[in-house]
Amino acid sequence: MTWLAVLTTLTLAAAPTDAHAVLRAIEDNHRGGTGTGTITLTVARPDRRTEYVMTVWSDGEDRGLVRVTAPARDAGQAFLKVGDNLWVYAPRLKRTLRLPPSGRSESFLGSDISYSDLSGRDVEQDYTARITSADGRTVVLELIPRPGAPTPYGRLTVTADAQSYAPLEWTFYDQRGQAVKRVTFSEHTKVGARSFPTRTVVEDLLRPGYRTTAVYSNYRFGVKLPEACFTLAALERGCE
Amino acid sequence: MILLRLAWRNVWRHRRRTILLVLVVAYSAFATIFYWGFLDGFTASVITAQARFVGAPVLVTTTAYHDDPDPENALPDLSFVTALQDDRRVRAVALRLEFPALIRSAYTSESVIVRGVDPTAEAGVSVVPSHIAHGRWLQRPGELVLGKGLAARIDVRVGERAVVDTAGKDGPRAAGLVLVGLVDTGSVAVDDRAALVHLDDARALTGAEVTAVALDVARGEEDRTAAALRPLLPPGIASFGPLEMLGAIRQDIEGNRIGAIPIILLFAIVAAAAVTSTSVVSVIERTRELGMISAVGLAPARLARVVVLESIITSLIGWVLGLAAGYGTLAVMARVNVLGKAFASYGRAFSALPLTEEIYAVIHPVYALYASVTVLIAALFAILIPARRVRRMAPAQAMRME
Repeated sequence: MTWLAVLTTLTLAAAPTDAHAVLRAIEDNHRGGTGTGTITLTVARPDRRTEYVMTVWSDGEDRGLVRVTAPARDAGQAFLKVGDNLWVYAPRLKRTLRLPPSGRSESFLGSDISYSDLSGRDVEQDYTARITSADGRTVVLELIPRPGAPTPYGRLTVTADAQSYAPLEWTFYDQRGQAVKRVTFSEHTKVGARSFPTRTVVEDLLRPGYRTTAVYSNYRFGVKLPEACFTLAALERGCE
Repeated sequence: MILLRLAWRNVWRHRRRTILLVLVVAYSAFATIFYWGFLDGFTASVITAQARFVGAPVLVTTTAYHDDPDPENALPDLSFVTALQDDRRVRAVALRLEFPALIRSAYTSESVIVRGVDPTAEAGVSVVPSHIAHGRWLQRPGELVLGKGLAARIDVRVGERAVVDTAGKDGPRAAGLVLVGLVDTGSVAVDDRAALVHLDDARALTGAEVTAVALDVARGEEDRTAAALRPLLPPGIASFGPLEMLGAIRQDIEGNRIGAIPIILLFAIVAAAAVTSTSVVSVIERTRELGMISAVGLAPARLARVVVLESIITSLIGWVLGLAAGYGTLAVMARVNVLGKAFASYGRAFSALPLTEEIYAVIHPVYALYASVTVLIAALFAILIPARRVRRMAPAQAMRME
C-alpha cells in the first residue's frame, strides 16, 4: 500500500509531537514534491530472479506515471495512477486498459505488489496510531485500522528514524496477529533537509524466498512536470 | 372373448418363459418411470435452487440489466413496487443491489458479484438467510456474509474484516466489512460464490440505488407469475422467473429432456424385441399344435390374433408390475433425499448449475403413458412378425412338422 506511494512520490518531512504527527511526518516523506527518477525492480522467487527498469514521474500528490524500459520484452508497458484510478498500457496490444476491481488482485509485474497496493490510500485516513517505543535512534508506531477502513490487515508497525522520521520498516500483520508482509527502507539519501530511502524491499513473510526490491537512481526532485505527464496519452509515449 | 381366453391359457402354459418376459417389460416400464421422475426431480431442484437460493422466485429488473448485469443499468425508479406489493400473487418484496467487486483478505483476493440486501426483507424472498452455518445473518451496515467456500478460499473467518473494492459511479470505492456469518446451503453456486452486504453499504460503494426487486410467489408458479406481472411494470422493466434467469442452463435442461426421448425409446424397443423374439420361438415350437387348431376350424387370421393377444397380455402384466415398482420407488424418493447425496459431486463438478444437496423425485401420471410405449411396440412387433407367420401357415403342412 504505502511503498508505492514511495514509488510514485518523492518527498519531505515535518516535526512531529504525537503519534499522528509522527505518522504524518513519515507519510510526508512519501509525498510533497514533484520528481522523476529511475527504479530498478528486482523480483526474486525461490527458483528465479527478474529485473525490470522503470522511469517514474510523480506530482507528489496522487498522480504518478511508470514506464517500463527494460527488459526488452516488457519495455513500453506503462501504468498511470490518477487518484484512485489505474490504467495500464499494453504495447503489444497497443491498447490502454482501465483496471477493473477484479484486475486489481493481479500482481504488478509479477512482483509481491498487487495493483490494489498501487491504489493505496492515506494511512492516516484508515488507521489510528500510537507510539509503542521511542529511543534516541528510532521511533515505532502501531497502527490499528479504524472501523470500516478498507484494509484487510489487523495492524501495522512502522519504524522510522527518530530524528528525520524517514521510514525504516513497515510490517503488516493479519487479523490473527501473524506478520504477513514486511517493507524495509534503506540507503537513504539527503534531499534538502530530509532523508529519502532509495532502496525498498518488500518481503512476503508467508512464502519464504518471495521478495521484491526497488532501487531508485537518477532521481531529480522539485522539477516541474507538465500536466501532460498524467494523461492517457503519456502512457503510450511517455513524459520526456 | 374366446380368443382372449385361449391367449390367456397359452400364456400360462409356459409359466417360466412368461415370467421372464413379464420381468423384461416390467424393467422397461420401471426404468422409464424412474428416469422421468428423476429427470423432472433434477430439473425441479435446479429451478428451486435458482428461485430460492441463487436468484429469486421472481426478479423484476430493467431489460438492460437482464442482458448486461451492470449497476449502470439499475432500476431508474421504484414507483412500480407499490403495485407489486398490493398484488395478491406477491407474498414478499425485497430490494437488491448487485455489483462486481474484488474481495480481499490479508492473504489473497477474489472477484465476486456482491449482493446488497435489506436484511429483513431478504429473508422473505430467499432461504439463504436461514442457512447460516456459522455466525449470524446480516443486521446492520458494515457487515458481510460469505459463502463458506468463498470464505475458505480467501481465508477470512467470522469476526475478521475483508475489503470490498469496486468501481463506483464516481471512481473506485472500497470498504472494510466485518464477516458476521458463513452460508452453507449445499448449493455450490451459493456456497462458493455468495457475498452479501447491507443495501446501504452497496449503495455507498456503487452510487447506484437498486438493480432488482426480488419477489416471493407461490412455489411452482414462479415462471407463470413472472409472465402475469409484466403488464403491471413500466416500459423497459420486466419480471423474470427462474427458468428465464437460468439463461443458457435452461437450454441445457431442455436439451437433456429431448435427449432422453431416444434413450427411453431404445429401452422400449429392446423390451418389445425381447417379447417378440420369445413369441416367435413360441410360435415355432407350437407349429404342430397351431396347425391342428387351425385344422379343426380356427381360421389362421384368428389364430394370428391369439398370438398378438399373448404378446399384449404378457406386456400388459409387465407394464402394470413396472408401474407399481416405478411409482413405488418414486414415492420413496419424493420423500427421502437419496438423489441429493448421490449427486453432490455432480453439483461441485458443474458449479454453474444451481443445484442443492436436496433432489427429490417427481411423480406424474403421464409417466405411465410414456411407459406404455413398450406395450404398444410389443403389440406392433407381434403383428408384424409371429402373427404374420401364423397367418401364412398351411395347417396340413404345419401338422407334419416335428
